[in-house]
Amino acid sequence: MTALLHSKAGASDGPDTGARPPRTRRRAAAPRKGERRYENLAALGFLGPWFLGLALITAGPLLASLYFSFTDYNLIGEHQWVGGENYERMLTDTRLHSALKVTFVYVFVSVPLQLAMALALAMVLDRGLRGLPLYRSVYYLPSLLGGSVAVAILWRQVFGAEGLINQVLAFFGIQGEGWVSHPDYALGTLIVLNVWTFGAPMVIFLAGLRQIPAMYYEAAAVDGASPMRRFWHITVPMLTPIIFFNLVLQIINAFQTFTQAFIVSGGTGGPSDSTLFYTLYLYQRGFGAFDMGYASAMAWLLLMIIGGFTAVNFLASKFWVFYGD
Amino acid sequence: MNPFSGSAPARRRRRPLLATTAAVAALVMAATACGSSESDGDVVELRFSWWGADDRHSTMQEAIDVFEEQNPGIKVSPDYTDWGSYWDRLATSTAANDAPDIFMQEERYLREYGQRGALADLSQYGDQLDLSALDPLVAETGVLDGQTFGIPTGVNAYAIMADPQAFEEAGVEMPDDTSWTWDDYVEIANEISEATDGELAGVQSMAYNESGFQIFARQRGENLYAEDGTLAFSKETMTSWFEITERLLEGGGQPSASESVEIEAGGPDQSVLSTNQGAMAHFWTNQLGGISESSGRDIELLRYPGETEHERTGMYLKPAMFYAVSANSEHPEEAAKFVDFMLNSEDAAELTLSDLGLPSNVDMREHILGDLPPADERSAAFLEEITEDIVDGNPPPPIGAGEVVEITKRTSDDLGFGDLTPEEAAEQFVNDVSEATGSS
Repeated sequence: MTALLHSKAGASDGPDTGARPPRTRRRAAAPRKGERRYENLAALGFLGPWFLGLALITAGPLLASLYFSFTDYNLIGEHQWVGGENYERMLTDTRLHSALKVTFVYVFVSVPLQLAMALALAMVLDRGLRGLPLYRSVYYLPSLLGGSVAVAILWRQVFGAEGLINQVLAFFGIQGEGWVSHPDYALGTLIVLNVWTFGAPMVIFLAGLRQIPAMYYEAAAVDGASPMRRFWHITVPMLTPIIFFNLVLQIINAFQTFTQAFIVSGGTGGPSDSTLFYTLYLYQRGFGAFDMGYASAMAWLLLMIIGGFTAVNFLASKFWVFYGD
Repeated sequence: MNPFSGSAPARRRRRPLLATTAAVAALVMAATACGSSESDGDVVELRFSWWGADDRHSTMQEAIDVFEEQNPGIKVSPDYTDWGSYWDRLATSTAANDAPDIFMQEERYLREYGQRGALADLSQYGDQLDLSALDPLVAETGVLDGQTFGIPTGVNAYAIMADPQAFEEAGVEMPDDTSWTWDDYVEIANEISEATDGELAGVQSMAYNESGFQIFARQRGENLYAEDGTLAFSKETMTSWFEITERLLEGGGQPSASESVEIEAGGPDQSVLSTNQGAMAHFWTNQLGGISESSGRDIELLRYPGETEHERTGMYLKPAMFYAVSANSEHPEEAAKFVDFMLNSEDAAELTLSDLGLPSNVDMREHILGDLPPADERSAAFLEEITEDIVDGNPPPPIGAGEVVEITKRTSDDLGFGDLTPEEAAEQFVNDVSEATGSS
C-alpha cells in the first residue's frame, strides 16, 4: 500500500524533482501522512473492542453505581431514591471505620516494604548475573500468581496452625501461632503475601536501572564515592520517576486488594475483622446483606480516597521526582 | 524517563502491549459470543443449585442422572458450592437475572428472596408438583403471605454429635443426655481435654451458630426471634450463653480461639469429629451421615444439655432446606416437575436418604426407614425420640436473618480472642442483629 502511494506521487509530479526542493519535501511527507492515517485506523480498530468494553463493562456500571449510591437498591427488588442517606450512614458505621483502618495499615506498610524489596532485588539482578532472564522470570512469577485464588488458598495452608511455617518453626523448637487465624497476625500474613509479589515493580526498576548512564558511576568511583553514596546520590535520584510510577500503581493496587483477604478469611474478614479490607466489607454489604445502595456509596468513597491519594502523590512529586532535564 | 509523560521511548515500548491487549480483548469477546446459550427447541435445560459437602454433591448428581433418564426432554445441570459461598453466589446471580431455575433455600433467607419477588409461587404448579404427602409439621413452613415459596426437603434438629471412641480414649463416660445440665456439659468437655493432654478437644466451639443459642433461649422460655421478627431474648440470657464458651476456653474444653477459626473455616469435613480430634460438636441431625463417613466412626447424636434444667425443652424441628424455583425461570413447569421428582419419587429418596433432613414426604420417609445406613438410621430414630418432647416450632426468621450468620461468627471471634467479655459480646450481638433485621 505504501509502495502504491509512493509510485502515484512520483507519477503525477514528473521526474524533475531535483529542481524544486520544497515540493520534494512535501512529496516526501505525503506518503508518511497516509501511512500514519492507516496506522491510526489500525490502532482504532484494535482499540475498538477495548473502547466497547470500557463503555459497556466499565462506564455503564460505573454510572449506574453512582445512581444506586443514592438509593436503597437491594439487588433483588425495587429501589427508591434516598438522597445522601447512604453517605450519612458511613459516618456512624463502626465496621466501615475499622475496615478503613485495616486498609490504610495494609497500604502504608505493605507498599513501602514491597517497593524496597523490589528495588533491592532489581539492584542485585542489575549487576549482570549470568542467567538474568531466568532470575527475572522466577522473581516475576509471584506477581502473576499473587492475586490468584490458588495462591491465597496455598497461603492459608502454609500459614495455618499446622502449616509449613509452623512445621519449620517446630523444628527449631518454636511453637508457632495460627498465623492467619489469629487477629494479631492475620493482617501481617497478608502484608507478607503482598510484599512477596514484588516482581512487577522489580522488573520496572530493573528497566530503570538499565537506563542510568554508567559514566555517572564511573565518575563517582574515580572521585572515591562509597557504594552507599553512589546509591543515594546517583541511583535514587535517577530512579525517582520510576519509584514514583511504582508508588502510584502499587498504592492504587493495594487499596483495591480483595482476593487474598476474601480467600484467606473465608469471606468473613475475620478473625475479629482483622482482615476486613475495605473492598471485602463493601462486598459483604452488597452481596451478603443485600445492601447494594450502601455498597455503591462505599465504592464511590473508595474511588475518592484513591483519587485523593493519587492527586497528592502527583502534587508531591514536584518536590522529589527528578526527570533529569 | 517520565513514565507518565508518554515520552518517545516509553511509547515505543507500550505499543506491543496495546496490540496484545487488543488481541486478547478481541479473543475474549469472540469467546463470550460463542459461549452464549444456544437452547435447541427439543431439550429444556434447567440449572439446579445447592450447597453442601462432598457426599451430597455425588448423591445429587446421581439423582439428576435418574431424573434425566426418566425425562429425556429435560436436562438438569448441577451448580453446587459450599454453604459459605452459596449465598453470595445466589444473590449475585439473582441480581443479574441469572438465578438457577431450581435452588435450595433456607429458613433464614426465604423471606428475603420471597418477599422481594425472586421466588415463584409453587402452589400454581399443582399439575406437576404434588404436595399432598408433606408432613403437616413442616408443610406450611415455606408459605409466606399465602404464597408457597419453598417446599421443605425434610426435617432436622440441631443437636450434639458425640464420638464414643473419643470418650473411651479419654476415659470419660458418655453423658446421660436426657438429664445432663450445662454444667455437666462444660465439665465433661474440660475433662476430656485434660485427660488426653489436649490431644482431643472436648467440644468444638458452639458459638459459631446461632441455632444453638436459640435452643438455649427457648429452654428459658425465650426465643431468638418473636413472631413479629423482633428479638425475643434478654441480654442476660445471651451473656450466660457466652459465659459457657468462656468457661470452656479457660478450662481447655474447646480448641483455642485461633484453632476454632481454622476448624470453622474448614466446614463439616474439617470438624473435630471428622478429623478424629475431638469428642463433641454441634451440628444438624442430617449432617450425621456425612460426618460419620468422614470420621470413619459411629458418631452418636445427643440431646442438648439443659433440656430438663429450666422451665421447658428448647430443641425444635426445623425444615432442613427448601426447594425453590426462580420467579424468572423460563421453564417453571419443568422445574416444578424436577422438584416433584426430588420430593415424591422413591428413586430420589433412596439416594438422598436423610441427607436433606428426614424426608418431609411421609410416604418416602416410611419407604426409606427400613433400609437406611446405620448413621441415617440413628438420626431418624433420634428425631423420632425427641419429637415427643418438643414443645413448639419457631416463627419464621425476619428479613436480614441471613446476616446474623456473619454477626454470630464475628462476635464469637471477638469473645474467643478476649476482645469482648461475655456481657459485651451479648451487647454487640443484640445491637448488630437488631440493625440487620431492622428491629432496633
